[in-house]
Amino acid sequence: MAGPIHVRLFSTARVALGRPSLDWPAPGGGVPARVLVGELARAYPPLAPTLKVSRFLRNGRYLRDLDETVLAGDEFAVHPPYGGG
Amino acid sequence: MGIRLTRRPLSIAAAEAALDRSPAGAVVLFAGRVRADRRGRTVVGALQYEVDRRPALAALASLEREARRRFGARGVVLWHRLGRVEAGGTAVVVGACCPHRAEAFDAARYLIDRLKRTVPIWKEERARSARRPPRRRARRAGRSSG
Repeated sequence: MAGPIHVRLFSTARVALGRPSLDWPAPGGGVPARVLVGELARAYPPLAPTLKVSRFLRNGRYLRDLDETVLAGDEFAVHPPYGGG
Repeated sequence: MGIRLTRRPLSIAAAEAALDRSPAGAVVLFAGRVRADRRGRTVVGALQYEVDRRPALAALASLEREARRRFGARGVVLWHRLGRVEAGGTAVVVGACCPHRAEAFDAARYLIDRLKRTVPIWKEERARSARRPPRRRARRAGRSSG
């Protein structure tokens, strides 16, 4: 049984949605990250500008490209540009 | 000891002590503090830091290895505050212990520059009102000068 993708939001992404995470339904075979990001941008327009400049991680590892598949049950993190220091 | 993400205050003295265990001739430490920058009628009273901890620790570990490889660092400190840091408080401390000063300066600069660009840490400003000089006094001064 396919579970949701657990999307974690940081910084401006968290502020845009007003919460630090959300669960997104995933098809059984998973979904390319590019499609997932597009779906999130359409579902949450305030998030769209941040998604354009963010990096993405799947289960704690940076995606090499947006063709990588995100599976049901995965953690998908949205990282806006960093600003430590 | 070289890598730290903490809600507790950071101390340059503690960072120097941590690097004392690395025998080499040059130690360079950098501390970044929260600036009370003015934003119109408010000033930055504090910064709130957040982190994605697991990739942040991996990125910091990678920076430490890089400093050892590129600059011959014998010891490295990469410490960052999390949560709320008041204006004037120390938000980050980086340091390098190298055989000679040129490498130590280069390493410390490399560490802070790369930390800001590659480690998943974010900050959000917390404003407080900027106190202006009392209006009455300003008027008096204006009259007396006219």
